[in-house]
Amino acid sequence: MSADVKTAEATASEPLVYDPQYILMVRDLKKYFPIKGGFMNRVIGNVKAVDGVTFNLKRGTTMGLVGESGCGKTTTGRTILRLTGEKTGGDVLFNGKEVYDLSHEELRHLRTKMQIIFQDPFSSLSPRLPIGEIIGEAVREHNLVPRSELDDYVDEVMDQCGLQPFQKERYPHEFSGGQRQRICIARALALNPEFVVCDEPVSALDVSIQAQIINLLRELQEKRSLTYLFISHDLSVVEHISDTVGVMYLGNLVEYGEKKDIFANPLHPYTQALFSAIPIPDPDAKMNRIVLEGSIPSPANPPEGCKFHTRCKHCMECCKHEAPKQREIEPGHYVVCHLYDE
Amino acid sequence: MADNNLSDDARELISQEIEAEGATAEESEYSLNDDRRVRTLSPTALVVKRFLRNRVAVTGLVILAFMFVFSFIGGLISPYREDQLFYRYDSQNKQFAAVTENTELRYLSENDGDFPSVARAKFVLAQKQGKEGTFESGGVSYAFKEEGDGLIAIYEASDTTNPIALATYDTVSSSTSNEKLPFGLQHAILLAETNDKHDFTYEGKKYTIDDGGTVMDGDTEVAYASRYVAQAIMPDVFLTRSFKEQLLEAIEVNSKEFTFTDEDGTTADYTLSYDATKSTWSVMQSTSTRVFDTYSSPSSAHWLGTDRNGMDMLTRLMYGGRVSLYIGFIVVFIETAIGVVLGGISGYCGGWVDNLIMRAVDVFYCIPSMPIIIILGAAMDALRVDPQIRMLYLMLLLGFLGWAGIARLVRGQILSLREQEFMTAAEATGIRASRRIFRHLIPNVIPQLIVTMTMSLGSTIITEATLSFLGLGVKFPFASWGNIINDVNDTYVLTNYWFIWIPAGVCLLATVLAFNLVGDGLRDAFDPKMKR
Repeated sequence: MSADVKTAEATASEPLVYDPQYILMVRDLKKYFPIKGGFMNRVIGNVKAVDGVTFNLKRGTTMGLVGESGCGKTTTGRTILRLTGEKTGGDVLFNGKEVYDLSHEELRHLRTKMQIIFQDPFSSLSPRLPIGEIIGEAVREHNLVPRSELDDYVDEVMDQCGLQPFQKERYPHEFSGGQRQRICIARALALNPEFVVCDEPVSALDVSIQAQIINLLRELQEKRSLTYLFISHDLSVVEHISDTVGVMYLGNLVEYGEKKDIFANPLHPYTQALFSAIPIPDPDAKMNRIVLEGSIPSPANPPEGCKFHTRCKHCMECCKHEAPKQREIEPGHYVVCHLYDE
Repeated sequence: MADNNLSDDARELISQEIEAEGATAEESEYSLNDDRRVRTLSPTALVVKRFLRNRVAVTGLVILAFMFVFSFIGGLISPYREDQLFYRYDSQNKQFAAVTENTELRYLSENDGDFPSVARAKFVLAQKQGKEGTFESGGVSYAFKEEGDGLIAIYEASDTTNPIALATYDTVSSSTSNEKLPFGLQHAILLAETNDKHDFTYEGKKYTIDDGGTVMDGDTEVAYASRYVAQAIMPDVFLTRSFKEQLLEAIEVNSKEFTFTDEDGTTADYTLSYDATKSTWSVMQSTSTRVFDTYSSPSSAHWLGTDRNGMDMLTRLMYGGRVSLYIGFIVVFIETAIGVVLGGISGYCGGWVDNLIMRAVDVFYCIPSMPIIIILGAAMDALRVDPQIRMLYLMLLLGFLGWAGIARLVRGQILSLREQEFMTAAEATGIRASRRIFRHLIPNVIPQLIVTMTMSLGSTIITEATLSFLGLGVKFPFASWGNIINDVNDTYVLTNYWFIWIPAGVCLLATVLAFNLVGDGLRDAFDPKMKR
């Protein structure tokens, strides 16, 4: 693994080589949103929501993606699924196929293999369809099960997701937030996907429901050997569910590695600051909080060099001019920081 | 075998009982807080429920239902057609005849000029001297002799057997024509009449004469003698004997009016008036004339009276409602069709297509529709466009001018819905674009659309009524509420014939109000935050 992974720049020209142990390979993914304005609606700038994200995701594992609000976690998830229009740059290999090279028809079929669960269970369900239809619609569209068995199939999926099949005829407005999130999960899982992007699936729910949903997701992962990309800003949830963890800052994946490595030995100054904010449930414990100065810069006008240099206490001269490259510090533990330059 | 059958039957019975119990048991099985006890309501059912709770809106709905029944079924039930004209009979008096009693002597002579007026003057002077006598005029000697009551025969002195003239108070007229009777016959008739004889002979023929002065030749009436002279005032009228008889009878009994039926069976009323200075009776004939039954007051035949053309108001109102509603619906349908398609394309495609369509919308917002419609209406007047085709043009024009608002609304809705997460979710599940639009997007636009459509139905009906009122919309013979009100074009009609404009005005007001109430009600019902 370590031998294959090279720095982004070194591999930019070469095609990304598919490694079958990874269900998803993302290299230097970029997604900019143009800012229009001025005379004749010209593009006057870009919001660099995702600006170079590289990681590989093993089958059957869960990758937690953390970072503060607005750092591009959600956009990363959606861009991987090709839900935000065209990417700006980079490669996304899903099962060895470049997602952005597929025709619309091929993509439509591929969608059954990769699903997404949204953050807001209230706006992600069409208010005018009964939930049986919401869950079963795409199954029918893709002819995943014979027509005659569709009903039973939907019942089964609902049952697995902790919903009662008699609720099929009901409409989303008749459900609570937790139930709605289960409906969203059922909709995603009904297509029998291999990979699911969980875009903050529990952040809109209260803690007891959060636990239920997290446990449900883990249960389903075991049953169906799913791969999750679990986007969250809640570090304790990520610690609970993830196998690997990626930390994002302003569109960059600044650190990426096994959960235990990251949590035990955060390398990037931003990761260190972030993890120092995890509350310790012990009143006597001494918190060594690293308080960051200033606020997150605008993604429309990110700082030159290392994007974190404006707030980094280890800031060096090179950080201000030269963007650092991803380096593997220990096996499977990558960091993007000049501190670890040889 | 029999045992088996029995047991089979029994088993069936038992199983039925068990089933029945099962059904009730299933209901009661649920605990009080079981979810299955909750009745499921679709969003549509919820909207209906909320709508029905809104009393004002339901009132509007009831008014609309009434208007629909009134307009679409009323027209079928009404015994009259939309453009059926009604007539009434109006009596008209006209001078028909004049009757004069002879109080002066009238002269009959065998040949004109036999008894000149100078001689007549001499005769009058001589006649005052006695019943018989002689007089001289123009070198001719005359003799005269009273032959009966009011009949004086005048002879030339040389020949006292054949009179040359007669002076008489009575007149003899032919019963069959206006032609003059021969002098000899007239003399014979007058002689018989004035001497109360009942028969006489003239030129070998026997005639009879009765007390009334009617002269019969066997069974046929030939002439009559009378002291009264009845003359028709209109030149083409011939006064028949029987008419004259009845007329004279009426004069004798001093009655002021009588009814006469002529040979054709036409009955007319006549009134008499006596002018003492001329001792003349003038006879007025009152005939009934068929006229259009205009502006007749409400009656059992015409519940809301008739309009200025003599058409049934209620029926016109029904057909008018039909036209108004038709136009409203078709115009709104056209508006919506164009608006949804263009707004949908604009919202869904975005980019330069959106820009183009929205600029077109801006342009359509700027078009002053009233002047255009007025000009086109005037042009159609000049071209004498058929009223039906004109109605079609009106609908197309109104629809074409009104889509901009709906397009803007649909675009806005689609723009906001497109960014909703459920649309992304639908895309993520790989549902086809057409299905995404029709199953996920459109159903969410429809509520807003229905509200706007309902509201614009009301305003379209008003616009149509305005145009029809100005005479530019729906044209005669088609009725519309607008052109019914158009009948009121002066204060006389306004103040005297309330039934012309009040019902149409009320219908118009009620319908538009009802559409607005229903629209408001729907908007509230569609808004889930409205929890009343």
